[in-house]
Amino acid sequence: MTREENFTHIGKPLLRKEDRRLLTGHGRFLDDVVLPGALHVCFVRAPHAHARIAAIDTSAAVDMSGVVGVFTGRDLAEWTTKLRLAPPIEGLQPVEMTTLPVDRVRFYGDPVACVVAEDRYAAEDAAEVVSVEYVALDCVTDTDAALADGAPLVDETLPSNLVSQQSFSSGNPAARRADAHAVVEARFNLHRHTHVPLETRGCAADWDAGRAHLTMHIGTQTPHPLRSQLASRLRLAENQVTVISPDVGGGFGQKIALYREELTVAALSRHLERPVHWREDRLENLTAASHARECHCRTRTAVDPEGRILGLELELMEDFGAYCFYPANYMARVVAMILTGPYRISDYAFEVKVALTNKCGNGPMRAPMAVTSWIMDGTIEAIARQLGLDPLDVRRINALTQDDLPYTMATGEVLEDITPLETLEAAASKIDVAAFRKRQAEARKQGRFLGLGFCSVVESTTYGSAFYKAAGIPGSGHEAAWVRIEPSGAVNASVGLMGTGQGYETPLAQAVAEGLGVPPDLVNVQMGHTDIAPYGMGSRGGRGATAGGGTLYLCARKAQERVLTIAACMLNLNEPTNLRLHDGQVERMLDGRWQCTGVALADVAKRAYLEPTSLPEGISPGLDVSLTYDPPPMTYSNATHACEVEVEIATGRVSIDRYVVTEDCGTVLNPVVVRGQQQGAVAMGLSGALFEQVIYDESGQNLTATLADYLVATACELPDFEIFPMNTPNRRTPAGIKGMSEGGVMGSIGSVALAVSDALAPFGVVVEQLPISPQSLRTALRGKRPETGEKERME
Amino acid sequence: MKETDYKVTLSLIVNGETRNVRVLPQRLLSDVLREDLGLTGTHVGCEHGVCGACTVLVDGAPARSCLTFAVQMEGHEITTVESVARDGELSPLQQALHEEHGLQCGFCTPGIVMTFEAYLKENPTPSTTEIRDVLSGNLCRCTGYQNIVAAILKAAATLREKGVE
Ligand code: FES
Ligand code: FES
Repeated sequence: MTREENFTHIGKPLLRKEDRRLLTGHGRFLDDVVLPGALHVCFVRAPHAHARIAAIDTSAAVDMSGVVGVFTGRDLAEWTTKLRLAPPIEGLQPVEMTTLPVDRVRFYGDPVACVVAEDRYAAEDAAEVVSVEYVALDCVTDTDAALADGAPLVDETLPSNLVSQQSFSSGNPAARRADAHAVVEARFNLHRHTHVPLETRGCAADWDAGRAHLTMHIGTQTPHPLRSQLASRLRLAENQVTVISPDVGGGFGQKIALYREELTVAALSRHLERPVHWREDRLENLTAASHARECHCRTRTAVDPEGRILGLELELMEDFGAYCFYPANYMARVVAMILTGPYRISDYAFEVKVALTNKCGNGPMRAPMAVTSWIMDGTIEAIARQLGLDPLDVRRINALTQDDLPYTMATGEVLEDITPLETLEAAASKIDVAAFRKRQAEARKQGRFLGLGFCSVVESTTYGSAFYKAAGIPGSGHEAAWVRIEPSGAVNASVGLMGTGQGYETPLAQAVAEGLGVPPDLVNVQMGHTDIAPYGMGSRGGRGATAGGGTLYLCARKAQERVLTIAACMLNLNEPTNLRLHDGQVERMLDGRWQCTGVALADVAKRAYLEPTSLPEGISPGLDVSLTYDPPPMTYSNATHACEVEVEIATGRVSIDRYVVTEDCGTVLNPVVVRGQQQGAVAMGLSGALFEQVIYDESGQNLTATLADYLVATACELPDFEIFPMNTPNRRTPAGIKGMSEGGVMGSIGSVALAVSDALAPFGVVVEQLPISPQSLRTALRGKRPETGEKERME
Repeated sequence: MKETDYKVTLSLIVNGETRNVRVLPQRLLSDVLREDLGLTGTHVGCEHGVCGACTVLVDGAPARSCLTFAVQMEGHEITTVESVARDGELSPLQQALHEEHGLQCGFCTPGIVMTFEAYLKENPTPSTTEIRDVLSGNLCRCTGYQNIVAAILKAAATLREKGVE
C-alpha cells in the first residue's frame, strides 16, 4: 500500500461540519421525521421472564378511539419470514426466531402485540387494555441455573441452554503448568450492561403501494446490511427497499441488527398501506433493546520465578440472554482471540461457553471485547501479587518489543506496527510511578487509600472480509465508495458507513480532500441513504477510518488520476506524470517546484461533462469514480491506560484523581474527532465499571428500567482525561490508518478495576466482580483491617 | 365522546411569539413543542426527568419539558434552542461548544445549551466544579463531558469580555 508521510489535509484538527445544525436545533433525528398521515405504534410487552401465551384479547383496545388495529405474532408470522442464524461454526447451535413471539415469551419486555393508532397517546392508552393471558413458566436468570441439569429451556428447539461452546489450544499449556514455578489463578466477572444511546431506537416505515416500494427511515449504523435483512424478511426484492438514516443520537452497537419491532413496523406499513412510526421509550430501551457484556472469566497462568508467562488458559462463560440477533459466539470469540494482546505468550488455550437465559438478548456494545484487557492485565497483577514482584516489571518482561514484530499470536492473529512497551513506558513516566507510590504510602499512614492501575490494550479494529471468512460469520468487511466531481467542480462523495455521532463528515471529507487534492470544505460526504451510498458494510468494529476513510481516500486518488489525465490533454501534454491537483488547481512540476498551470478542477469538470468530444481518447465523459476496498483481516491499535483513584473506606466511594492514556492508533484523519472518541470511550468504560448495571431479580423482573435505576455517569463522576497520542502508521492500509474508538472502553474497565484493587491491597481485597459500586466495596471490606498497622478510621 | 371533544385551546408564548394550539390536556410540553409547533430541536431522551435532553427555558429558568404539561404553560415565556442563534450567528456558548468539540451525536446538546444559556447569566464566573455540578443534570453518552466543561468555561470568558465592551 502507498506510504505518504506528508499529508495536506489528513491529520488536520478541523472542526466538525455537523455541529452547526446540531447546536441550533436543526439536526434531523428519527423522531423529527414527519410522514404525513403516519400512524403510531406501541408494543405490548411481557411482564414475565418466561411464560406461555395462552390468549390475547385485543377487543377492548380495538374499540378505543383512534385505534386502527392490534396485531400479534400470528399476524407477523404471515407477513414476514423467520430469522434463522445457522452459520457453519463448530459448537454453535443453529437458532431461529419469529418476528414477534407466537406462543411463548422469553424475557421481561418481550413484545407480544403491537397497537397501531392515529397518534402515540392513543396507541399507548390502548396498549394498556390489551389483555394477554399468560401461563408463567420457570425461568433461568444466570448461567449456573441455565446450565443446571433439568433447567427450563430458553429455546425449546435446542438440546440445552448451552448455545455455543468452542475450545482451542496452541502449544501445550497443560505441560507448562506442570513444569511451572507457580500457577496463578484469577477471576474476572463483568456484569450486564446496556448501550443507552441518548436517542432511543425508532423507525418510520413508508410503504408506497403504487410502486410496491418500502422506504424505511431508521437510525442505523449499517444501512445496506439492514436493507438486505428487511427485504429478505419481508419477502421483497432488495430493490424494493430504501433505507434512510437521519442523524443518529448514538448507537454504540445497539443500532446494527434489524430488531423485531422495526420489522413489525415495516410489515404493518405494508399491510395497512400507511406510513407507520415508532419511537421506543426509555423503559423499552433499557429492558428490551439489547444488552451486552455479562460474562464470567477465569485464567490459569503458568509462570517462571521472574513472572514470565509460560502458559495461559482462559475459561469464559457469557450470559447471552434469550434471543440471538448475532451468532452467540460472536463477541466472546474476539475476547479469546486477542486475549494475549500486548504480551508474548505462545502456549495458550481457551474454553468459551455461551448460555441462553431469560433476559434481554445480548449484542455487541462499544468494545464487544471490553473485558479482554482487564483479564490480561489483571492476570499480570495476580502474578505480581503471588510472586511478590513489581507489576510493571511483570508487564515489561512479558511485553512484545519491536524485535518481536510482526508477531503471530497463539491464535494466529498477526500483530504489526504496534507499540505496547512504548505506550506502557510513556504512561508510567507521565504518571511518575515512584512519586505516586510515595504519596500512596503517606496517605495510607493517614488512613486514606490511593490506588494506581495500569492497563495495556491491543484493540482489534477494522475486521476485513478475511476475518469474517475465517470466523465463519456471514458478512464481509470490505467497503465501497464513490467520488463525483460535479460539472461545476463541486465534489460529492459517498461511502457505506453511517455515523451515529462520531463526526464522520469532516474526517471523511479530509480523506477525500487528501486523495483528490481539494480543500475539505468543498467536499460533501453523503451517508446513510441506500439509494445514494454504495453498498457498504456500515459502521461497526472500529472500521470507520480504515475501511471508510481508506476506501474514500483510494477512490479520491483514482478520481485525481482521471482529472489529471484530462488536464494533461487540456495543457497539451502527452502524460499527466508531472501534474498534481492541489487546492483544486492543477499544478505542474517545473524546475523542481510545483507551479500553477491556470487550469482549475472546475475547468476540467466542465470539459468532462460539457465538452466530451474534446476529451482524450479512451476517456469517457463525466467525472464519476467508484471503488471498493477490502482492508486487511484486522488492524491493531494499542494503548496503555493509567488510572489513579482514591477509595473512601467508610462509604466505598471511588473517586478518580487522574487518568492518563497513551494511545497509538496510527495515522489519524482528524485529531479533534479522534480525541473525542478516546474521551467518550474511556467515559463509557468508567461509567460501566463504576455505576451501570442491568439487574434482574430471581424471577427475571428487570429492576433497572429507568435512568434513575440504570445509572450512567454524570459530569460529576468523571475526571478530565490526559491523552497522549503516539502514531505509528499501519504499513498495510491506505495512508497508514488504523481503527480506534473501542480501546478506551477496554483500557478504562481494566485500569480502574486494577487501581481499586491496588488501593485496597492493604485489606487484601481484589476486585473480581464489576461494577465497583459502593455497596460491593463495603461488602468486600466488611470486617477487614488494613495491614499497614494503621487503624482504619471510620469503621 | 370523541377524543377531540376533550381538547383544549392553549395560547403559548414560544420564542417570543404567541402560538395557539388545540391539544389534549395530558399532552406534554415536549410533544407540543416538537409535534404541534414543529420545534424539533428540543429532544426527548427519557421522558422521566433524568437525562435533561428536553430542557427548555420557562420564564428564563431551565425546565424539563417532558415533565411539564403544555396546559400548565399558559402565560409563561418558553424559550427553545431554535431561538439561541441570532441571525444565523451562533451564541458564544454554541460557538464554544463547536470550537471545543463539546458535542458528538448532538442529541443531548440542545438541553445543555439551554441549561447553560441560563446558568451563565446567573453565574458569569463559574468554576469547573460548579459547571460539572450543574452539568450533572444533563446526560451525555458520547463525550465524557470534558470538552463540554471546557466549552462552558470558554463561553463564560467570552461573555465576560463582551459584557465589558
Ligand atoms: S426527556 Fe426530559 S429529562 Fe429526559
Ligand atoms: S453528544 Fe451524544 S449524548 Fe451528548
